Amino acid sequence: MERTELVSKLTAVFRKVFKNNSLNLTNELTANDVDNWDSLSHMLLITEIENTFSIKFKLKDLNKMRKVGDMIDIIMSKL
Amino acid sequence: MDEFFIRKATLNDVPFLVETIIEAEKSGTDKLSYSTVFDLSLEEVRKYLADMFNEEVDGCELSVSSFLVAELDGQVAAAASAWIEGSEGISSSILKGNLLSYILPKKCIQKATSLNPVIRDLHIEYTPDSIQVGSAYVSETFRGKNLCGLLISKQLKFLSQIRPDISKVFAQLFECNLPSIRMCEKLGFKTVMKIESANEEVLHYLPFNKKILMTKELFIK
Repeated sequence: MERTELVSKLTAVFRKVFKNNSLNLTNELTANDVDNWDSLSHMLLITEIENTFSIKFKLKDLNKMRKVGDMIDIIMSKL
Repeated sequence: MDEFFIRKATLNDVPFLVETIIEAEKSGTDKLSYSTVFDLSLEEVRKYLADMFNEEVDGCELSVSSFLVAELDGQVAAAASAWIEGSEGISSSILKGNLLSYILPKKCIQKATSLNPVIRDLHIEYTPDSIQVGSAYVSETFRGKNLCGLLISKQLKFLSQIRPDISKVFAQLFECNLPSIRMCEKLGFKTVMKIESANEEVLHYLPFNKKILMTKELFIK
């Protein structure tokens, strides 16, 4: 999958989880920049990403995701 | 007074830390959010909390490294947690979310997600680059000796040495948890925020419908 396609699919996941249709992803975006990105919504986000891309994160992968760019890189590495 | 030995918690302390999280979460009530929000039995909560502690992720409320314990004659009497928020460039909420999503069965996540609109009103964001006080608990035999106050004071001293630039400490408490609020006040904490959920359903899942944020200024050299 190309990175652009991945970002497009990931954007749809973020918009669904955070119920915000104007949310746009950038590599530098972090949890501090998105309303309601707390531990519970993060759990849902991870689950939705795993389901959407048919992947399973390891805990060490999850803990490396400091910003959305890290998340994209890790998803790419699993496809 | 008995001479308690204060030390960093280790993996051997996980059973006591699990009880600390459970009792602190209940805030003096019988409502355990890990049980109600994730639809888990008490034994399942114990198992999954232990599993999360055993992953040894640092920097959040489910980190063994966030805890100090007080022991007497080899018996752990009390535990209290505190951590530097976002010290590794990732918030403690996200680290906790990672642990929950990794350890808990998917059905628990679905249940919690469905309840999120009900309980979200009582969420208070952590402040990056501050010290956050988490859970504290004293086993019944050792109560009345101010062990939680002692442990939290030690935590603040210890974490201030690691990050002398940090000037604020925060603690989030349910308003029903009067003993802990009084303990924080004795330590110099003041209430700076109160939030309330108007949704009565929240009382089915959380100990109370009002939460407070307390803070204390640290002396900066």
